[in-house]
Parts: sequence; structure tokens; C-alpha cells
Amino acid sequence: MNPKNNLIIGIIVAVVIAASINIDANPVNFVDGFPKLIKIAEEMTQVDPNLFHIAFSAMFETIQMAIIGTVVGVAIALPLSILAARNLNSKWVYAPLRALLAAIRTFPSILWAILFVIIVGLGPFAGVLAIIMYTIGFVAKLQYEAIEAIDSDPVDAISSIGVSKLQLIRYVVIPESASHLLSQILYMFDYNVRQTSILGLVGAGGIGYYIINYIQFFEYGKATVFMLVVLIVVLVIDLISIKIRDKFIIKSQRGMEMKIK
Amino acid sequence: MSLTSTPIPKIQTKTIIQMNNVWTSYDAKNFALKEITLSVDRGVNYAIVGQSGSGKSTLLKLINGMMHPSRGTIRVDYQTPDITNKKFKKMMAKIGYIPQTLGLVKNLTVLENTLMGALPRINTLNSLFNIFPSNEIDEAHRLLTMVGLENKSKRKAYQLSGGEKRRVAIARALMQKPEILLADEIVSELDRVTSHEIMELIAEAQRRINLTAIMVHHDINLALEYANRVAVIKNGEKILEIGVDGDQIIDFQTGNMTQQEILEMYE
Ligand SMILES: Nc1ncnc2c1ncn2[C@@H]1O[C@H](COP(=O)(O)OP(=O)(O)O)[C@@H](O)[C@H]1O
Ligand SMILES: [Mg+2]
Repeated sequence: MNPKNNLIIGIIVAVVIAASINIDANPVNFVDGFPKLIKIAEEMTQVDPNLFHIAFSAMFETIQMAIIGTVVGVAIALPLSILAARNLNSKWVYAPLRALLAAIRTFPSILWAILFVIIVGLGPFAGVLAIIMYTIGFVAKLQYEAIEAIDSDPVDAISSIGVSKLQLIRYVVIPESASHLLSQILYMFDYNVRQTSILGLVGAGGIGYYIINYIQFFEYGKATVFMLVVLIVVLVIDLISIKIRDKFIIKSQRGMEMKIK
Repeated sequence: MSLTSTPIPKIQTKTIIQMNNVWTSYDAKNFALKEITLSVDRGVNYAIVGQSGSGKSTLLKLINGMMHPSRGTIRVDYQTPDITNKKFKKMMAKIGYIPQTLGLVKNLTVLENTLMGALPRINTLNSLFNIFPSNEIDEAHRLLTMVGLENKSKRKAYQLSGGEKRRVAIARALMQKPEILLADEIVSELDRVTSHEIMELIAEAQRRINLTAIMVHHDINLALEYANRVAVIKNGEKILEIGVDGDQIIDFQTGNMTQQEILEMYE
């Protein structure tokens, strides 16, 4: 380890300490609260197996919300990302759009959920709208960056044929950035399932609604059932997206056919 | 129009490309091309040779309007090439440009890459849904047969070998029904047999349609073998232009010269 690394580590430690003072973080409080944690952990082990079917149906609603939110969000984000790409548009188009997308991204999904609960009332619809907003903000950014990074050779070659802008987008920009898009959709869906799981905290539907209720009434054993279901489903989704990724993305990025066992 | 009717020849001048005292640069300090004057007649195979970095690719980009001269004038069929000018779009459709890197869309199939050459003459809305008129699809298959890739028309471009990729790029350019073909070192990295096959393909296309080919070569022997004219570029300047007529090589300034003399100048 060289002196430069030590300096960097020193700075990081100093920043963490400084930040903790500001937010009242105190290790003593943590140690004092520790016995409570043990008690909660003990109660959490008293799971109620009868609740599993309710938990799975709540999780099903969560996944439905995440699917709708991801699909609609991506469908809106795609055209926006094309308009926000600097290599395809004039400054007058991309600059305001980028500012708007940046504004959308500043809100975490839970804040969007609160906003939509106020507008459309309690329930999963508010949650779906929140997921849509969050997805638009992120997928549009990731995708316009992918579009800006595409190989300029086919763009130059096809533009010089004298094709229209829409044809260029259809035949070069979208195919060249498609492998990025698929991995972004998978990532976003995965992320949205986890996000949707907590949107219930503010009454925006999904499994989080049950979890927060049980925790509020100190029924940790019941909450555990729902959290376990979230864990299982997230793991399964993770496995599925790895399979999809291997099948479609790795192949096209390596530039050859590969057999993945 | 019936298939048997012979096309009525347009009234055309002999010269299709004319460059007068053209200078251009990428940055303020250095000129990539200096004082280039040349004219290319319709139907010829015009070769440009020179060491790497001498300005060959730049010359092609000036002709297709991707770059602009800082001094001097260029006319391509009476028009000033400019890829950003709507008025030049019609001409762009008639210029088949194959960049050094080929510019294939790697995730699309061989057939789709070929069909792209027809995009300017196809209804935009239809083309967005990948709908091509059947005569265009037939033409694409015909060209792929000609370049020997018909059996791979459904392959993705990234699954092809270097020689196959060049054939697709040629098919795409010919799909444009071009008047001018600009090809940037498309045979430079290939083995002898394959590069001769590819040069033959272009010679064959030139015999069939009145195509003017401007081809950049690294290998001057290949240029002398296939071209009617060869321009040698060195450090951005045209140092020599020769006509090739069978074994006869004519330097337009000094009279006949031998192949050996040319090779020496090229060094
Ligand atoms: N995009 C660019 N930006 C700056 N300089 C460039 C660029 N492309 C080419 N050049 C310079 O212009 C000169 C001619 O390049 P080029 O036409 O590509 O040569 P060739 O095709 O003969 O190898 C070289 O000195 C090269 O470094
Ligand atoms: Mg070059």
C-alpha cells in the first residue's frame, strides 16, 4: 500500500466522521439499542406459515406493478432518449430534455409515490405511476448515453447514402444500441421489483403495505414471511435475468456464437 | 417501361468529378490535403495510392461531402458535395461510399445491411416497418448471389469473416444503383486471392453499369493492375498522376515511364 492510498483512506475516514457528527450518528446509541435488536430477531424467527399464500399473492401484485411500470416507463423513455442524444439532435432539443430528465431523477421513487397517492389516491395505481416516472428518468439517461457511445462508422456510412433521419435511427441507432437496451430493461425490472416492494410504505400498493403494517403492530414474525417472499422472488428474478443476459447479450457483444452451458 | 427497351443515354459530359486546387485540414496547423487538382471521367476506375496518413481517406470524404475544402472547389456532377445540404441528398443516394471500416450494422443481417442501399428511394414509413418492395428484395438477393453470399443472407453481420464483410459492403453500395463508387482500402487487409476476387467483382459491376469507381489502395501493384488512372498522394499532395493502358504506363507530365520508376517514386 503506497502513501497516496493511505491519504485517500484517511480522507474517506475523516469525511465519514464529519458526516456522522452532522446527522447525529452515535455508536453509543447503536450499542444501547442492540438488546432490542436481539429481541426483534427472536420474534422474527416465529414465522407464521399460514401467511405464505397471502404473501405470494401480494408479491404477485408487486410484480404486476413492476412489469407495467417498467414496460410503460421504457416505452416512454426510448423516444425521449433518442431526442436527448447529442449526436442526433440540435442543442435546442436535447438540452431542455436533459434538464427535465435530470429533474425527474432527483426524486426517489418513494417521493413520486407520495405525490401520486395525493393525486390519484391510495392503491397500486399510484405505485405504478411512481415506477413509471423513476424508470423514465433512469432508462432515458442510460439509453441516451448508450446512443451517444455507438460506433460512428455505420452512422457515417449510412448517413452518406442519403437516408432520412428516421431511417438512420431505425436501421443504425436502434440496432446498434439494442444490446444495451435489453440489459437496461432487465436491470430496471429487477430494481423496480425491489422498489415496488417498499412503495406500500406510503400506501401505493404492493407487498410493502403488509410489511409496514405488521411492523407497526410489532408482529415481526408475520413481517418475516413477507420479507422472505420478497427475498425468494428477487433471487428468482435475478437468476432468470442472468439466463436472458447470457442468451442474448453476451453473444452479440462477443461478436460470435457461443454455447453457454 | 418494357424490359427490352434500351435506356436513352442522358447527355453527360465526360468529367464527373472535378477538384480544383483543393486544400483541407482537420486542425488549424496542418493541411491534410494541399493543392489537389484532379478530374475523373465517367466510367473509369480511378485509384488513389499513398502511404498511410498521406490523406487518401480525407480525399474520399471530400468527394462524398462529409468534409469540406478550406480552399478550392469540388464539383461532383456539377454539385458541391455537402452531406448536410438537402439539395445534395439525391446525389448522395448515387454515391456508394465504403469507408475503411466498412460501416456495417453488426446486429443486422446480411440481407438487411444490403437493403439499406435502397433506403433513399423507399417510402420512409414502409421502411420503418422493414417493408421493402419485392423487386428491391429480389435485387438484394441478386447482388448477394453475385458477391457469393446468398447462402448467408440471414447471418448477422458480426458473424462474418473480413472478406465476407467487404462483400456485404459492396452489395450495399451496388444496391444504391450508384453512379460513383468510393471505396477506401477495402482489399488492403485481405489475402491475394480474396482481394483479386473482390476487385473482379467491382470490375464486373463497372462493365454492367456505367459506374465510376474511385478506389483507395495501399498496394500500388493492385492499382496498376485494375485502374485506368492512378494518383499518388504523399503528405497531402498529389505527386504523380498516371494513366494505365495495358502494360503501358503514361505519366502526364514526362511521358512514358516504367513500373520500376513508379515504384521508386512511391517509396
Ligand atoms: N479525424 C481526424 N482528426 C484530425 N486529424 C486527422 C483526422 N483524420 C485524419 N487526420 C489526419 O489527416 C491526415 C490524413 O489522414 P487520412 O486521410 O486518414 O490518411 P490515409 O487515409 O491516407 O491514411 C493524417 O495526418 C491524419 O493524422
Ligand atoms: Mg485511410
